[in-house]
Amino acid sequence: MFNLKEISQAVISGDGVKVKDLCGKALDAGVKAEEIVKDGLIAGMNVIGTRFKAREIFIPEVLMAAQALYSGLELVRPLLAESGASQLGKCVIGTVKGDVHDIGKNLVIMMLEGAGFEVVDAGIDVTPEKFVQLVKEHKPQVLGLSALLTTTMPVMKETIAALKEAGLRGSVKVIIGGAPVTQVFADTIGADAYAADATVGVDRIRELLGAN
Amino acid sequence: MKTNHSIQATPYIRMISEDQIYQIHLATLEVLERVGVMVDNEEAMNLLREAGCYIHDNVAKIPAHLIEEAIRTAPPRIVMCDRDGNRKLFLEKNETYYGTGSDLPFTIDPYTQERRFTTKKDIENSAKTVDYLPNFDFFMSFGIATDVPEVTSDLHQLDAMVRNTKKPMIVTAHHRQGLLDQIHMCAAVRGGVEELREKPLIICYSEPVSPLKHTLEGTDKLLVCAEYGVPVVYTPGLMAGATAPATRAGAILQANAELLSGLVIHQLKVKGAPFVYGGVATIMDMMTSVLPYGSPEWHSNSIILTQMAQYYQLPIFSTGGCTDSLVFDQQAAAEATYTLLMANMSGANLIHDVGYLEQGLTACYDTLVFCDEIIDMVRRIRRNLEINEETLAIDVIEKVGPGGHFLTNPHTYKHWRNEMWVPKLINRERFEEWEAMGKPTMGDKCNKKAREILETYEPERLPEGVQEQLAAIIAKAEKRYLK
Repeated sequence: MFNLKEISQAVISGDGVKVKDLCGKALDAGVKAEEIVKDGLIAGMNVIGTRFKAREIFIPEVLMAAQALYSGLELVRPLLAESGASQLGKCVIGTVKGDVHDIGKNLVIMMLEGAGFEVVDAGIDVTPEKFVQLVKEHKPQVLGLSALLTTTMPVMKETIAALKEAGLRGSVKVIIGGAPVTQVFADTIGADAYAADATVGVDRIRELLGAN
Repeated sequence: MKTNHSIQATPYIRMISEDQIYQIHLATLEVLERVGVMVDNEEAMNLLREAGCYIHDNVAKIPAHLIEEAIRTAPPRIVMCDRDGNRKLFLEKNETYYGTGSDLPFTIDPYTQERRFTTKKDIENSAKTVDYLPNFDFFMSFGIATDVPEVTSDLHQLDAMVRNTKKPMIVTAHHRQGLLDQIHMCAAVRGGVEELREKPLIICYSEPVSPLKHTLEGTDKLLVCAEYGVPVVYTPGLMAGATAPATRAGAILQANAELLSGLVIHQLKVKGAPFVYGGVATIMDMMTSVLPYGSPEWHSNSIILTQMAQYYQLPIFSTGGCTDSLVFDQQAAAEATYTLLMANMSGANLIHDVGYLEQGLTACYDTLVFCDEIIDMVRRIRRNLEINEETLAIDVIEKVGPGGHFLTNPHTYKHWRNEMWVPKLINRERFEEWEAMGKPTMGDKCNKKAREILETYEPERLPEGVQEQLAAIIAKAEKRYLK
C-alpha cells in the first residue's frame, strides 16, 4: 500500500523534487491518478491553507508548497480521466487593458495552480477582445480580471459586456480583484465574484464551481 | 574585504559633538566648585569633608579631581541577573533594555476601563504581564500598593514583584530601613547577601531634588547600595523653567552636576560600587504646571544625557513608552511610539516608564501590551544591516530579470523571515477581512490581549519556603513600625 500522506507531507514542506518522485512511485504502485491528486497533493495543500489562515505560515511558504504540488501535478495530469481533469477546473486570468501591473495576478495564478487548477495566463494590458478570444479558445469555467489602477477598472465592465455580445457570458464565471476593486463595484458591473486577496480568490473560485 | 572599507550597520543618532560634551563637562565642574550641592546627610557630608571638599554649613563645593576620580572608579558596565541567577542585562554601551516605571497611584482597570486606585494585586498582575511580554526586560512596580499598610508598602510591592516575574527589577524604597529590608528579601531569594552582590537581582532607584540638593533619604540609599554592592540608579527629575534653567543646555548641565556629585558621594563610600547615571530632564508645562512625560524636550534631552553617560562610561537609565494622555488613545500611541523609537536609537541601557499614562500618575495594562509590539518594531529598525554578496543578491536579480518576480525565488524563501518584521497587533488587514473580524481597533486588541494574559498566564513560582521568608521579613517590619 502506498501511503499518500507522504506526498501530502512533501507538499507541506515545499519539496518539489520529492513530490514528483513520490507521485511517480505512487503511479508505479498502481494508485489512481485521481487519488494521488485528491488524497496526496490537494490534501497537503489544504493543510497549508489552514496554517496560512491561522497565520502560522506566510506567503513564501504557501508558494513553495504550491510549486511543489504543481511539479507533482504536471506528472499526474496527463493520466487523469477526462472527468477528473475537468473537476479540477480551468481558469483564464489577466490584467486588463491599460494596466501593466502583474504581481497580484501572478500571485493568484500561483495560488490557483497550488490548489490544482489549470491556469491560462493572459498576461497584462489585455483588451476585452483578447479575453473573448481566450475564452473561446480554452473554454475555462472561470475568467479572472485584475486591475490595480482605478482608471482601468471600467475595462472590467467592458470585458463583461464583450463576453455578453459574443454569447459567452453564460459559459464562464467572472471574478475580479485588485487593490481598488470592491464587492460593490463587482455587483455594479455584474461580475460573479470579487476577492480581496489571492487566497480568498481561490476560495471564491471553488465556491463558484460548487467544489469544496 | 576591500581596502579602506568602513561598516555602519545601524541608525546613528547624536545630538551634540564630542567638543560640546566636554564643554558641558567643564561647565559642570565649574558649577560644582563654585556653587556646590546641598547635602542633608551627615555620613555623606563627613565623606565629602574628609575627601577635601569645601564645606559651608550644609553645602559642599567639590573640587574637580574628586569628580574625575569618581568617574574613573565607577564600573563601566553592570550585569543584571534574573531570579534564577542567569546573566541577563548587560548594561554597557549601546545595549538597550525596556521596562515599566514605578509607583503609579492609579490604574485603568482592564475590565471596566475605570481609573481607580492601584492595589497590591495590580502590582502582581503587572509583574505577571511583564513576565509574559517578550520585549520587556526588567520590571519596576508600575503601581503603588494603596491597600496595604503605608509604612511597609515598599516591601509589599517587592513581594508582589518578585513572586510574579523572574526578570530583573528596579525597586523603590521608603527610606534606609525600607531598602535594607528589601535587600534582605532579595538575599532570601538569592540565597544570601554575598550571592546577591555577585548576581544583582535589583537596582535601587534614588533621586536628588533639583536644584542641587541631596536629601537625607536619597543619599542614604546611595550609601546603603554602595555598602551592599546593590546597583543604584540616581536620577534627577528636573523641570526646566521651574527647578532648573529654562534653557536645555542649562538644564542638562544642572542634571549632570546633580548626578556627578551623587556619584562622588557613592564612590567615596565604596570605590567601584555599581552606579547607573539617570537621565531624566523635562520641562514644567507653562500652561498647566504639570511635568509632561511626552514632551519633546525630555526625550531629546535624553539623547544628550545618554551621550554624557557614554562619555563617562557609565550605564544609563532613560525613558520611553510613556504619555501625558489620560487614557490609551491616539495621543498615547503617538507619544509612546516616538519616545520608544528615540530611546532605542539613543542607545541608553534601561528604558523605563513604558506604559505610563497621565503624566506619570496612571498605570495601564493595555498600554503595556501595545508597547511590547512597538518595542519589537523599534528593535527591528535598529537591527544590523548586512551588506554582502548574498544580501546584495546580484545573481538573483539577474536570474529573475527585468519584468519577472521574486515571489517563488528560493532566495525569497530563504531570507524573508529574517529580513521582514511580522507584526502581531498592528493592523494590515484588507477592509473586508477587518470588517468580518468586527472592526477591532488597536485599543480593542490590546485590551483583549491584556485580559488574556491575566486570565491564562501563570508565572513560575518561587522555590519552596522563600515566599514564607519574604512574608516573615514584612511581618517583622510591620511590627517595628506599628508597635
